[in-house]
Amino acid sequence: MPDVLPAKEAGFVDPKALMAIRNLELRARVVVEGFWSGLHRSPYHGFSVEFTEYRPYSQGEDTRYMDWRLYARSDRFYLKKFEDETNLRCYLLVDQSRSMSYCSLDYSKSDYARTFAATLAWFLNAQGDAVGLFSFDERVREYLPARHRHGHLRQLMLALEREPAGRATNLTEPLRRVAELARKRGLIVLISDLLAPVVELESHLARLTAAGHELVVFQVLDPNELAFNFPNAMLFQDVESEKDLYIDPEAARVSYQRRLQEHGEGVEAVCRKLGFAFHRVLTDRPLDLALLDFLRSRVRRGKLIRRRQQRVSK
Amino acid sequence: MNFLSPWFLLGALAVTGPILFHLIRRAARERTTFSSLLFLRPTPPKAVRRSKLEHIWLLLLRCLCVLLLAVGFARPFFAHDISPPSAASQERRLILLVDTSASMRREGLWDKARATVDRYLDKAALSDQVAVLTFDQQPRTLISFADWSAWSQDQRALLARQRLAAVAPGWMGTQLGLALTGAAELFRENSVARREIVLITDLQEGAKLDGLQGYQWPAGTRVIVERLPAKQQSNAGLEILEPPAAIAGVEEDVHVRVANSSDSRKEKFRLGWKGSSERMEIYLTRGQTRTFTAPKPPAAMKSGALELSGGDLDYGNVSYYVAPEIQHVKICCDGLGATNDPAGMLYYLQRVFPATPRRQIEFAQQLEKQDAFAVIATNLAPQEIAVWRDWLAKGKTALLVLTGAESGPTLAGLLGLPEAQVTEAGGEYGLLGSIDFQHPIFAPFDDPRFSDFSQIHFWKHRHWEIPASVKARVLARFDDGSPALTQIPVLEGNLLVLASGWNPTDSQLAVSSKFPPLLETVLDWSGAGAPVRFQYRTGDAIPSPVLVGAAVRWQKPDGKEITLAAGAPFTETDTPGIYRSSAGERERMVAVNLPLDESRTAPISQDDLARLGVPLGLDDEQSAAIARVRQQHLQDAELENRQKLWRWLIVAALAVTFGEIVLSGWLARRVTTTEATL
Repeated sequence: MPDVLPAKEAGFVDPKALMAIRNLELRARVVVEGFWSGLHRSPYHGFSVEFTEYRPYSQGEDTRYMDWRLYARSDRFYLKKFEDETNLRCYLLVDQSRSMSYCSLDYSKSDYARTFAATLAWFLNAQGDAVGLFSFDERVREYLPARHRHGHLRQLMLALEREPAGRATNLTEPLRRVAELARKRGLIVLISDLLAPVVELESHLARLTAAGHELVVFQVLDPNELAFNFPNAMLFQDVESEKDLYIDPEAARVSYQRRLQEHGEGVEAVCRKLGFAFHRVLTDRPLDLALLDFLRSRVRRGKLIRRRQQRVSK
Repeated sequence: MNFLSPWFLLGALAVTGPILFHLIRRAARERTTFSSLLFLRPTPPKAVRRSKLEHIWLLLLRCLCVLLLAVGFARPFFAHDISPPSAASQERRLILLVDTSASMRREGLWDKARATVDRYLDKAALSDQVAVLTFDQQPRTLISFADWSAWSQDQRALLARQRLAAVAPGWMGTQLGLALTGAAELFRENSVARREIVLITDLQEGAKLDGLQGYQWPAGTRVIVERLPAKQQSNAGLEILEPPAAIAGVEEDVHVRVANSSDSRKEKFRLGWKGSSERMEIYLTRGQTRTFTAPKPPAAMKSGALELSGGDLDYGNVSYYVAPEIQHVKICCDGLGATNDPAGMLYYLQRVFPATPRRQIEFAQQLEKQDAFAVIATNLAPQEIAVWRDWLAKGKTALLVLTGAESGPTLAGLLGLPEAQVTEAGGEYGLLGSIDFQHPIFAPFDDPRFSDFSQIHFWKHRHWEIPASVKARVLARFDDGSPALTQIPVLEGNLLVLASGWNPTDSQLAVSSKFPPLLETVLDWSGAGAPVRFQYRTGDAIPSPVLVGAAVRWQKPDGKEITLAAGAPFTETDTPGIYRSSAGERERMVAVNLPLDESRTAPISQDDLARLGVPLGLDDEQSAAIARVRQQHLQDAELENRQKLWRWLIVAALAVTFGEIVLSGWLARRVTTTEATL
C-alpha cells in the first residue's frame, strides 16, 4: 500500500493520499505499519522495550524477575526491572468542535485529528496498551474507557468516525469530566486546535497534572490558519459563533499571525510549566512524523522520569 | 424647464449615496467560514475602484430614482413666454422733505442731501408732481406742487435746483414728526393714487417724533427714507439751564446739561467759560445726559458763553449765557394814602408787589423820570399834569384811579382834553358786567376757572363818558354799562382809567383773589415787569419786553437790527448767540442756544419710524424689482400648478423603484443559483 501512495517526504505517507482512504481503521493501519517497516532507519529503536534497570538481588525478593542469563554469564544475581507496560492506560482526547471542521486542503482538521487518534490507538493497541477515548466539543460526546481487549479498537474506530457536531470549543467541561472518569493514572493525549483563551487552559490542565496523569498535547492547525492566505477581502464567519467580520486579509494578516503566534507560545509555555509535551501539527504534515513526535516525547519523558528517580534514590 | 422650488434639487446630491454604496461594497456574497475569529480584528471598509463597480444597471436605476424624486420635489414646469402686463404709468405726487436742521451742518451732509434731491429730480417722470419741503422745527415749502406745475417741463429740475441752492441748514432743532405729518397733509388735497414722501435726513436720535403715533396717514402714502450717512464722530453738546428763582441776594450757580451722543467714542470732556482759562473735567458715558454745575462765571459777567471741549465735532459745543438781572422798579403812588393805613390804597398795593428774586419794587410819592409805572389817585394841578404828560410821552403807563367827581379835570388834563365829566354812580353797589379777555391784561384770566369777577362788589364807582375823540379800549364794564377799566393811549404812553378804587370804602377788589394777579399783569403789560426767561433755544419766539408803547429794537448776534412793534414777539432766533432788545430806555439781553437734542447725532433706526406707524416704503427701483420678482413667482406658481409635472416624475420614480426591486431580486436569485451550482 505505501508503494502506490506518493510520499511527500521520503519514507512518509502523504496525508492527502492517506485521507483518500475512507476507512479510518485502514488509515491508521497504513500509518503504523509503514512506521514499523521504516523503523530500521530510525535511531530510536528499542523504545518498545520498557526495560528500566538492573538491580542486585536481595534476599526475599521475587525470583520471577531474576535475569538468569546474566547469572549464567556473571554468576551474580540481578533483577531485571520493567515498566508496567501492560498497565499503560492511554486516553485520547479528540476535539470534535466545529472549529475543527475548517479545511483549506481536501480534508479538515477534524479528519486529520481523528486519523491521528486512530493511528495512536492502533499503535498503542498493537503494543498491548489499554486505549480509551474522549471525543468532545463543548462537552464530552463519546467516552470509551481504556481497555485492551478484542473488539475494543473496533469500537474506538467507530466512535472516531462520527462527524463533528458540536458548536464551541470549551475545554473546561471535557477536562473536568476526564479527570473524573480517568481515575487511574495514565497517559492523556489531547488532540485539539486549542483555539480558546490560554488562561482557562492552564487551570484545567493543572487539574490533570494533579491527578497524576501524563499529558501530551497536539495542536492541530490547518496550514492556512497559519498562513492566512485569502485572495480578497470578504466576510469571515466564525464557524462556532457564526459571527461575521469584514476582513481584508492583506491588512489583517500580520496582526493575525502575531496573535496566533502569541497564543501558541502561551499554550506551549503552559505545557512546559506543567511538564507536558506540546506539539503543533499542521494537517499537511505526514502522520508518521506526528507519531514519531509522540514517541520522541515518550522517550524524553521516560528519561526525565528515570533521572528524577535516580535523584530521589541518591 | 424651470423649477418652482429649485433648492430641492440639492436633494439630487443624494445620488452619491447609491454610488458610494456600490463602491464601498462589502461583498455580502463573498463570505467564508473560518475556524475562529479570536485573533482577527475587523478591517474598515475600503472603496473599490470604479472599474469594479458591479451591477451598473442596478446602480443606474437607484440613481435615477433619487434624481426623479429630487426633480419632482423641485416642482418643474415649462415656462411660457408670457409678457407681463405693462405697468400703466401712474400719476405720482412726490414730496422731497429735506432736513435743514442744525445737525445737517455736519461735514458733507448737506452736499449729500442736495445730491439726493438732484437724483430724485432727475428721476421724476413728466407726469409726476413734485414738491420740495425743508424742515427743521417746522416744515417750509420750498417748491410747491403749484410751482412745479407752473414751470415748463424742461425747466423744472433746473429751477428746483436753483431754489435749493439758496437753502442751507440752519441752527434749529428737528421736528421730524411735525414735518412728516405736515407733508402728508399736502396729499389730502387731491386723490392721486401714488403718494410718496422722500425723507432726506440724517435721522439723528435727537429728532422729535411727536405727532406720528396714531396719525392717520392719507391712503396710499409711502415714506421713503433716504438716510444720509454721517462720518461717525464723537459729539457732545451742552445747554445752560434756566436758573431757578432763588432767594433774592443769594448768588446762583449756573447749571448746565451735557449730553453725549450714543455713538460717541469719547467720555472725557472739559467745560469752561469762553475767555477764561479755568476748565472743569467731566466724564460722561456714551448716550448719557447729565447735569453739572458749571464753573463760576467771571465776576460781573453779564453775558458769556460756556464751552465744552473734547469732542470731535465743533458743533453744539457752546452755550450762551445771560446772567439774570434784578429789575429795580420804581412805582410812583400819588395820593394813595399812607403806607400803614388799611383804609388807603397804598397799603394794599405794597402787599401786591412784594420783592422777588428778579424784582425789587420801590414806592415813591413824587414822580420821577425813571419811574416805571405810576398810580394816580389824586387830583393833579395843571402844572403837574404837564409833568405827567411828559412822563407818559416816554412810553410809560399810568393807572388813574377815579376817586370822585373831582377827578374829572385830572382825567381831562392827562388825556389832553378840555374837560371830562365824572359823576358818582348811584345804586347800592356795582358789579363787573363784561370783561374783554382778549386784552393782554385780562388774557391770563381767560379760563372758566379764573374768569369769574362777579363776586367783587364795588360799593362806589364813577361814571364817565368816553369822548368820541378819544381812542379808548374798554377792558371791563360795570353792570350798568359804564367803563370800569379803560385803556387810553396818551402820546407815546398809556393811561389806564379805573372808575373805582380798591380801598375798602370803594370796593372789595383789594380783598379779592383776582387783585394781585390783575395788578401783576398790569405791571407786566406796562413793561415794568421783570423778565421771566433769559435762556431760549433757536426757533423759540422771544416775548416782547414791553407790550405797549414804543417800538422794540432787536439786535441779533451778527449785528443785524430788527425793529418790531411793542408786544410783537421776536421770532428770528435762527442763530445761537446773545440777542439784545431795547425799548425806550430799557435794554435787555437774552441768550439763544442750539437745542441740546441736536447734539445727539447718533442715527436712529428706520424701525423706530415703522413702530410709530410711518408707512415706510422702498424707492422706485427697489419696489419695481420686488414687484417683478413677486409677479414672476406668481406666474411660475400658476404655470406649475397647471402642468403638475411633479406627479409624472413621482410616478416615474415609483416605476423605477419597482424596476429596481425586480432587477435586484433577479440578480440575487441568479447569484444564489450560481453558488448552488458551484
